[in-house]
Amino acid sequence: MCGIAGLIYYNSALYDSLGSTLLSLIQPLETRGPDSCGVALYSGQVTAAQIKLLLHGNSSTPWLQVQQWLEQQLAAMNSPVDCQPIPEGLRLVIDLANGNFDPAQFKQALHSQFPMLHVVGMGQAMEIYKETGAIELLNRKYSLNHFSGTHGIGHTRMATESVVDTHHSHPFTSSYDLALVHNGQVSNYYKLRFQLERMGAMFETQNDSEAIAHYIHYQLLQGKSLEAGLYQLLDDIDGTYTFLVATRDKVALVRDKFAAKPAVIYETEDMVAIASEYRALLNLPSFDSNATIREPSAGEVNIWSVLPTVKETAERTLVNR
Amino acid sequence: MTEQGMLTGTLVDCSKLTTREINQQLRTLATEGLEQVTLTNPAGRHNLAVGMDTCMKIQIAGPVGYYCGGLSEQIHLEIDGNCGWSVGENLMAGQILIRGSASANAAATARGGTICILGHAGPRAGISLKGATVIVKGNVGPSSAFMMQQGRMIICGDAGANLADSIYQGEIFVGGRVASLGADARYEPITGQDWQMLAQELGPFGLDAHTYNFKKIVCAEQLYHFKPRDFSKWKDAY
Repeated sequence: MCGIAGLIYYNSALYDSLGSTLLSLIQPLETRGPDSCGVALYSGQVTAAQIKLLLHGNSSTPWLQVQQWLEQQLAAMNSPVDCQPIPEGLRLVIDLANGNFDPAQFKQALHSQFPMLHVVGMGQAMEIYKETGAIELLNRKYSLNHFSGTHGIGHTRMATESVVDTHHSHPFTSSYDLALVHNGQVSNYYKLRFQLERMGAMFETQNDSEAIAHYIHYQLLQGKSLEAGLYQLLDDIDGTYTFLVATRDKVALVRDKFAAKPAVIYETEDMVAIASEYRALLNLPSFDSNATIREPSAGEVNIWSVLPTVKETAERTLVNR
Repeated sequence: MTEQGMLTGTLVDCSKLTTREINQQLRTLATEGLEQVTLTNPAGRHNLAVGMDTCMKIQIAGPVGYYCGGLSEQIHLEIDGNCGWSVGENLMAGQILIRGSASANAAATARGGTICILGHAGPRAGISLKGATVIVKGNVGPSSAFMMQQGRMIICGDAGANLADSIYQGEIFVGGRVASLGADARYEPITGQDWQMLAQELGPFGLDAHTYNFKKIVCAEQLYHFKPRDFSKWKDAY
């Protein structure tokens, strides 16, 4: 058992409540997964030529040394970096405009220099925060209540397949702005991992859910749309799963052919919320019992685009005139 | 959902109690000889009215979570809302009426009594049913009546894929379309006696059996014992 939740806003007036609402959405799901929790939050704060990168270490990490090393390394790549300390980590904004920053090379160099450091995620919009223990602690540690953004996914974990620590917590990422939270088990994990590694995927943990993230990234690299990739996934990934995958502009919910793991979808004109259990949706500040509330069917793939609604676009057009 | 103002009789407000306290209170009220109790603000909570053994009518004013009314010896339960997984699991006797839809595993392993869902039911409705009667006004999801052993399912709407897969015994009636039958299930001609029974079972819930085009499904009894030559009959369910 694990808990998953997702939130997509269509109304920009709601953006400021992204962090607090997503956390209150996964709060009741803590009973489904008390081991660890995490969220991937999306906001469009950096400019086109920049990326955000979150590093996680521990209290004994020599942060000053790390910062110096980072500045040196990235200067060598001609990519200036802005380092902002966060609890047990650093939030970097790297300027790629004139540089030759290579993420794989960077990760390798970082790992050989500071083995205790972990790249939690990178992208233009995505920020991943995860931790063992309670949601309340995660919230307080990173002040997530104040996080403003367009969409996000969250997870509460009851570990079945690998060790309980921050790195093995969800969300998992496999590429820029790609995050995944999963409830279930992947039965053909070893075979899948072997195949994906042959295709160049770099696994960072022993967790089966990470394989799903790499699988989706691989499908996208083949030029497939997210939708086509996810339908292919239904045939290729064996096991039980209800998972949410988020990209910069989309959130998808996939349920396996057995419908073995739960999900409830809540839709209004302003937002879409997804949670493992109905009772979690009652925590939405604007919960409307007349909203469309449904469960996805077995083998169903739902994809929502995180774009302003027709209504908002129309309003903007009117204003521009 | 019923408005709070319209509720009458003894009310128990779930929002102020733990689940254990609610169920204990229900048991106490039943021993006091009360005839009807209403639970308000269930808020999708799990394990409400489980392990009951009473004819006292329990009304739940709103949606409930998992296992509602489960593991009960005897119950008279009405839910004015949707249900989570496994409503009425392992029910022994009595009646559960759901005025909304039920999620997966409705009436799982229920041995007796009647569970009536006036909305739709999710995947695996009536899984491993062991003697109860399950009535669904709407549709049921895939793998419903999986490994059913005894009892009766009456589905007025459509049934999802692999209906009655690996059924042992019991009978299933479907008013709408059947996406597909599972291994070792077959259609059987429906008799006048069956129609009589259907009218009798559906009548109390305000449903008219003759407005549906019922089809009857039973066990083909081909796979009770595994024989290698029957291999092709073991359909791959997925």
